[in-house]
Amino acid sequence: MYGDLGNKLVQHAKRTQNLAHLPPYQTELVRAVTREVRDLDKDVRSMLEPFQGSFDPNADPAVSCTLLVDHMAMRRNKRCLLAYHRTRTDKLEELVWNGTDIPDLAGQQRAPGAPNGDNGSSHLSPQEEDYMRQYSDLLAAYKGQWTDIDLTGSLEPPRDLFIDVRVLKDAGEIQTEYGAINLTKNSQFYVRQGDVERLIAQGYLQKLS
Amino acid sequence: MDIDDILREVDPSFDSVPQETRDVQALTRAWVAERSAPELLPWPADGLFERVNDKIKNQIEKVEEMTGDMDPKTNFALIVIQTELERYRYLVRSYLRARIAKIDKHTLHYLSTDALRSRLSELELAYATRHQALLHNHYLSSFLASFPAGLQNLNDSSGNINMVDTPDLDTAVFVRLLRDTVVQGRGVHKDDEMEGTDGSILILRWSDAKGLCERGDAELV
Repeated sequence: MYGDLGNKLVQHAKRTQNLAHLPPYQTELVRAVTREVRDLDKDVRSMLEPFQGSFDPNADPAVSCTLLVDHMAMRRNKRCLLAYHRTRTDKLEELVWNGTDIPDLAGQQRAPGAPNGDNGSSHLSPQEEDYMRQYSDLLAAYKGQWTDIDLTGSLEPPRDLFIDVRVLKDAGEIQTEYGAINLTKNSQFYVRQGDVERLIAQGYLQKLS
Repeated sequence: MDIDDILREVDPSFDSVPQETRDVQALTRAWVAERSAPELLPWPADGLFERVNDKIKNQIEKVEEMTGDMDPKTNFALIVIQTELERYRYLVRSYLRARIAKIDKHTLHYLSTDALRSRLSELELAYATRHQALLHNHYLSSFLASFPAGLQNLNDSSGNINMVDTPDLDTAVFVRLLRDTVVQGRGVHKDDEMEGTDGSILILRWSDAKGLCERGDAELV
């Protein structure tokens, strides 16, 4: 059936929305849907060829119906593809905003115990990797105009200047205005929130309430 | 922030409130409005953000100057200034992020007409244009390039369905009236009209509330 494959893509996209990680890119499916569109287009053209541009829908309802269905199926497939890619790029952008980059991503997925034992290749298509790289550059450029604000900082309204944090993973030594702190596992500190925000986001520290 | 402050600000003869205070108020209001309005609001044109940025820069320098000082008194002042700085930063950051989120969601829509483009700041315009180009390129290299030429557009409007997504201007917003005025609202079955009094809070469709906000009769809350 026309559109079945497109539907699968949409289902994948829908699933992606609720997942924490990005599932593998459906290269085969995307290719198949694209092929379907091309085949449909070829059909349409071969069907219209004998009429030499003088096709009258009223004279031949059967052909015009086929044309309509083909036409709609092509457009629908296109929208499905767009939706699928957009969902994924949205995810990628979110990752970029959170400060992940591609090596990180590949590293996570290579981690032992990952459900799918793929051979370390990232789940992105090469195009997506390009996109992510370019988007990082774009974001960095935009952020660069607002250096004093730290655009990717926390979106929680700040309450206290200083917070209690517990160190979950060794993070080495960090420099603050009040001197250097050595972050060793399981120790606890009272530090300025601005200094450690990044480390909290990366999971090295845990904020204690 | 108080209604009186806002009313005083609308009145041009009033200028005993220092510029800094008015800037904070303007920033806060812009932030609240931007977060509750369903569509992108115009970028403040009067150089608000240049001033805010300068202020932030000054404060950062001050903090750096004061850090060396170990006197407990300066230390206390330092904490106050840093707290203020953090809050200032948060306002600006949250405001910018709210705008970026809207721009990302409906990029093509905001780039489509000059009137809409003028709502973006120069930086945002550059960002949006580039982002859209990146997306288009990504689509092209992923699948669009192998499509028949007639299907490669991203802004088809065939079959009465426009491919360019637009924000829903009919979503509900809360507004506070800043002066007595007649409020008109469009309903599902019939339209309605009421005498609004200063300070009352109403829930309206954004498309109805927009005019009120632009005239300064109301503000988003």
